[in-house]
Parts: sequence; C-alpha cells; structure tokens
Amino acid sequence: MTKLTDTRFTAQPPAPRSRPHQKKNLVQRIGKGGFIASLPFLAPALAAYVVFVIAPMISAVRLSLYQWSGYNTDPQVFVGFKNYVRLFTQDPVFWTSVQNTVIWVVLSIIIPTSLGLVMALALNQPLVGRNLFRSVFYIPGVLAPIAVANMWRWMYNPNYGVFSEISKTLHIGDGSGVTFLSDPKVAIYAVFAAFVWQIAGLNMVLFLAGLQGVSKELVESARLDGANNWQVFRNVTLPALRPTVVIVMVLTIVHSIKVFDLIVGMTGGGPAQSSQVLALWSYTQSFLNHDFGLGNAVATVLLVVTLILVVPYLIWSTKGADDHR
Amino acid sequence: MRLFAKAAAAVAAVALLAGCSGGGSNAAGSGTTTLEWWTINLTAPAANAAVDKIIADFEKDNPGIKVKRTPRAVDAHKDSLRTAIGTSAAPDIYDYWAGPGLGGELVKANASADLTEYYKQYKWDERFSDAALAPVKQYGGYHGVPWKLNGEALYYNKKLFAQAGITETPKTLDELGAAAKKLKDAGITPIQFGGTVNWHVMRLLDTFLEGKCGSETFDKLVTKQADWGQEQCVTDSFTELQTWSKDYFNPGFIGINNDESSALFFGGKAAMALEGDWFNASIEDQKMNLADVGVFSLPTGTSRLYGFEQAQYITKDSKNKDAAAKFLDYFTSKAVQQETLGLFAVQSVNKDVKADAAKATQLTKDWDGIFKDAKGLYMNNDQNFNQSQTREYWRIQNLVATGGLDPQQAGADMQKFLESSQ
Repeated sequence: MTKLTDTRFTAQPPAPRSRPHQKKNLVQRIGKGGFIASLPFLAPALAAYVVFVIAPMISAVRLSLYQWSGYNTDPQVFVGFKNYVRLFTQDPVFWTSVQNTVIWVVLSIIIPTSLGLVMALALNQPLVGRNLFRSVFYIPGVLAPIAVANMWRWMYNPNYGVFSEISKTLHIGDGSGVTFLSDPKVAIYAVFAAFVWQIAGLNMVLFLAGLQGVSKELVESARLDGANNWQVFRNVTLPALRPTVVIVMVLTIVHSIKVFDLIVGMTGGGPAQSSQVLALWSYTQSFLNHDFGLGNAVATVLLVVTLILVVPYLIWSTKGADDHR
Repeated sequence: MRLFAKAAAAVAAVALLAGCSGGGSNAAGSGTTTLEWWTINLTAPAANAAVDKIIADFEKDNPGIKVKRTPRAVDAHKDSLRTAIGTSAAPDIYDYWAGPGLGGELVKANASADLTEYYKQYKWDERFSDAALAPVKQYGGYHGVPWKLNGEALYYNKKLFAQAGITETPKTLDELGAAAKKLKDAGITPIQFGGTVNWHVMRLLDTFLEGKCGSETFDKLVTKQADWGQEQCVTDSFTELQTWSKDYFNPGFIGINNDESSALFFGGKAAMALEGDWFNASIEDQKMNLADVGVFSLPTGTSRLYGFEQAQYITKDSKNKDAAAKFLDYFTSKAVQQETLGLFAVQSVNKDVKADAAKATQLTKDWDGIFKDAKGLYMNNDQNFNQSQTREYWRIQNLVATGGLDPQQAGADMQKFLESSQ
C-alpha cells in the first residue's frame, strides 16, 4: 500500500503549466533561439516590405487627407476628410465606380468560377483531345490583359468587328452593327465578357489540379452505394474540392477588385464613365485629373474594401497551416 | 497580401523608372551648356527629321550649346513633367499646350518662367501674330514662346456632297443641319466621330456653344463668369448635340476612337470630319484624291477660328535660361519657320512667314483663307477647363450624346460640378 502510495506520488501527472511559466518560455524562446536570433535574416526582407508595401500604403492614406496637384512646386495642403466628403457626396463618378466594382466582383464569383469548374469536370474525363482542349482553354489566361482588350475591342467594332459581321449576315438588328461598347448600360458587361474569356481557363487549371486530389475510392464506393452523377459530385467531389474552391474564389476576387487594364483598353471607363471602376478612377483622379488627394481617397477606399475581403482568407489560410503542424 | 505585394512592386518599379527618367538642366563644367528639351511626340517622320535638323544647325552655329531633345507620348510627357518640375530633373524647355487648363495649370504651379525680358531682347512681340501671342500673355507677363497654332474646321467629301444634292458649303449652323439631313436622306453617314477619345465629339459641342451662345457668352461660360444652368443657349447646344449624335453620327461612334472613325472618311463612307489642319497630311498619307476633299470653317457665325496653340516654355528653375531663349529665338525665326512650314501646321506663328503659292495644295490654300478670315480665336474646351472639369464636361457630353441625360439637365449638372470643384 505504501508502495502503491509511493508509486502514486511518483507517477503523479505534471501540474499544468502556469501562465507566468508560459510567458517565461515564450520570452526565452524569442530571446534565445527565436525572433531576435532570426532578425538579422529577416531584416532585408522586412526592410523591403516596409519600404515598398507599408510605407506606400501609409503615404496613400496620408495623401488622401491633403489637397495636392502632384507638382513639387505646388504645396500639399492639409484638408482633413474633405476629400472623402467630396468623394461620397459630390463626385459624380465615384458611386458608379463602386457599383461597377461590386457588379464585377459578384459576377466574377459566379460566372468564370462556375465555367472553370464545368470545364475542369468535363476535361477530367477520358476524352479524345483532352490535353489539346485544356491548352486551348488555358491560353487566354497567359495573354496580357491589354492585348485581350485590343482583341475584343476589334471584335466589338461596330463597322468591322466579327459580331457586327455576324449580326449583318444573320440580319439581326437594324444593320448598323453591334454597339455593345457604345451603350452605357451594356458596356461594363461587354468588357466583363472579355474577362470571363480570359480568366475561366485559369480557374479550370486550378480546379483540374484540385480534382486530382479527389479520392477515387470514395467515388467508387459512392457509386456502389447507388449514388448518381449529381450525388457523387454534390457529396464527394465538391467537399473534396473545398480548399481549391476557396483559393479560386479569393484569387478571382483579388483579380476582380484590381481590374484595370481591360477597362482602360476597351472603354477607358466610358462611355460617359459608365464602365468606370475604383482602381481606374483612383488612377484617373491622380494621374489624369492631377488631384492626388481625391485619387488617394479612392485608393484608400479600395484598400479598405480589399482588406475586408482578403483578411478572412488570410486568417483561414493561417489557421489551416497551423492545423497541419 | 499578395495584392499589396504586387501593388508595392509596381509602385517601386514606377518610382525607380520615374527616378531614372528625369533629365535635368545643367551647365557643364567643360564650358558647354546642355539644354534639356522635353517635347510631345511628333508622329510624322518628316516633322521629326526637321526638328533634328534644326537642333543640328543651331548647335553648329552655337558651339557652346548642346540641345538634348526628349520626345514622349502625351501622357508620358505630362507624367514626366509632373514628377520633375521643381526638382533638379526638370528640363530647361518644355513643350505644352497653351490653354489655361493645360499650360495654365503649369504656370499656376510655378513651373514656367516669365519671359518678359527675352521678349524685349529678341523683339518677339513683333515676330508673332496677335492670335499666337494671346495665349502666352493671358497670365500676365509672357509665359512660353508660341510654336504652332492649329485651326480646326470641317473637311468634306465633295463627291458625297454632290450625291446628296448639296451645292454650297454651309454658312450657318442651320444650313449645316440641313446639309446633314440631306446626306442622311441620301443614305450617307453625314459625319464621323470616335467617341472613346472624348475630345473628338467635344469639338462639335464646342462649336454649338460658340454658335448658339455667341463669343461673349462662350468666353464667360468657360471662365465661370456665366451660369451653365441658366443660359438657354447651353441647353440648345446640348439638344443639338443629341440630335446630331442620334441622327448624323456614324453608328457606334462612342465605342471607337478617332483613328477608327477617320477610316470612314478616308474610305468615302462618311461625308464630313471635324479635324485640325494637321489632317491635310493624313489625307495625303491615306492616298485620298485631293480633288475630292474640301474644307470649310465651322459655321458658327462669330468669325472666330476654332483651335489651340502649342508653346515652348522655359522652366522657372532653369539655370540655362539665356541659352534656352537663344535656342527658341532660332527655332521660331523666319528662316527656320519658312523651311518647316506645313510640317507642324499649315500656318506659322511667325507672321513674316508666307506660304509658297506654287507648292501649296488646294487644301492648304483653303486653310490660308480660313486663317485669314478669322477674327479672334476660341479654344477647345479641354484647353479652357482644368483636367477634372474637362473630364466632367466629357462625361455630360457623352451622356447626352448617348441619350443617358436630358439636355435640359446637362447645363445644370455642369454648373454644379464647376461650383464644387472651385
């Protein structure tokens, strides 16, 4: 008994670590082999990050509180939140650009993503010429957006464009040609069509990579259990694709928010600023209107919107990385 | 964060490029002065060759001065000036439009030197025409040296006019409207415009404003001394623009640029083009039959010429102002201007330069008549307004032209913006 008691005493589980003890360990870790020791190695990258990422962002936010034409000879005048007031209440284009950016993001999440998934599912089957189709669908993704813009602008040309020729051949409309880019109500969607054409193939490649990770055994066992194609997709494939779906969504959102080249190349934000978006409007205010205060106010709004959409992804991805340690 | 990283990399690249692109005026220790001269690209090879020859000839006559010319595209030129002005990278001379919305913005930003002493020294007041001098004198003193004055008018296809039964060129806006209707009835596109560049269609709106409001009110409107929302002529002008864009412009005009729309004129598919005197060279390049093309002044009824000027400005901080003035004196001299007449504009800003009648084409002669008959100048409104006001003017113009805004509302919207952007 005594022995047992002794054993019980000696085999006592270690007491839970107290909080001060944890802190001490953390401090020790940082001090001895952690953060401080790694600082010399981190410093160059950290300095570059501060100079080229953090400082420009702070500078942009600071400039949004000033009135400045961009000339060194012209003093920067502090105006507080006046630029934001002007932006939200007097700028006739700002809300149009917000609306178009939102439309662009929402449509991007729905159309090119779904299209990419459908193409990936189709080209994941044993088809003749599968690799050729994969390449053909992916090629638009590697073209420079400004080249895509030029190409589509010519396709939309009301006098010589392919859509006009088709409409004339088929006697659709009044024979005056297709004028998608000329209609303020349609222009943004006409540019978006070019975006879908370019980005869907990229999404397809990501989904194809994700599909290679779907367990064949699970698919087969689902079929043995009598699941039809839709049920297999809904209950086996789609859950397995979840990480890929999130990555595709985030990349698509990021691509959408910063859309610039296609709009510049196809409409320049027109007609009548009807296809204007936040990134282009920020550039226009700063570099074309020479109003750097207002331009940076737009950039700051864009920054906040981007952070709202991207930070959850960063948290999720960090959490995922921690879970796998 | 990847977005930010990419954005930061882009910003860094732009910053590095901006840092590297600056030239900078300097007085070399070797006794040679190097003039940094920033210009806007000249598209015609012959015009570029002519400028190179001018520089070579000047350097030959002035061994102590070198001229380093840096031509850039329009937006790159504007960006470079914005980043360089006020720094050691600024040029000694820069080429710019003379209107208050463009050249005037730089004068306001203290970029340009007042050249009054050089105007006295070189007697430039006597060299240039009144029309050419007016834009450089508008800020008090003398800012810039006139280089070229371009006029804009209506080019027309004589065959298409004849086909539509038009026997005389229009003398009033009403006659112009009637001619457009005849052309349309004959199945011909009356006039071509490319809407993506905004300033192309703007020329017609400016014309309607000058014609319907008269010179005095036009000037008051563009200098914010008259209310756009209160003047009936403004509503009439926008209404006329809407009529023209709906009935007489090439279909889909707003989705194409001016080069694309000009192809319609060159190809005989549109009867008129509202263009500047530089269009003569394009017509010849496109191998149009010169006998089929004519040009007539915009029938506003005010007798003023529609156009704009480009000037060469000496920067305020230049350490080589004397050498720069000497070069500009040579550049605008009678001999040089006579030799290059027609390459930059059909008329020279130097009033002693006369066209050689034997070499002149009919179009050049027509232009001589237009310049000769003009009494004063009204400038394109993208020269009159600052950049943000111009952009709003274009937005309203395009909304009206595409049916997205009632012409009755257009003037009030413009006035509201002008007041908020003061």
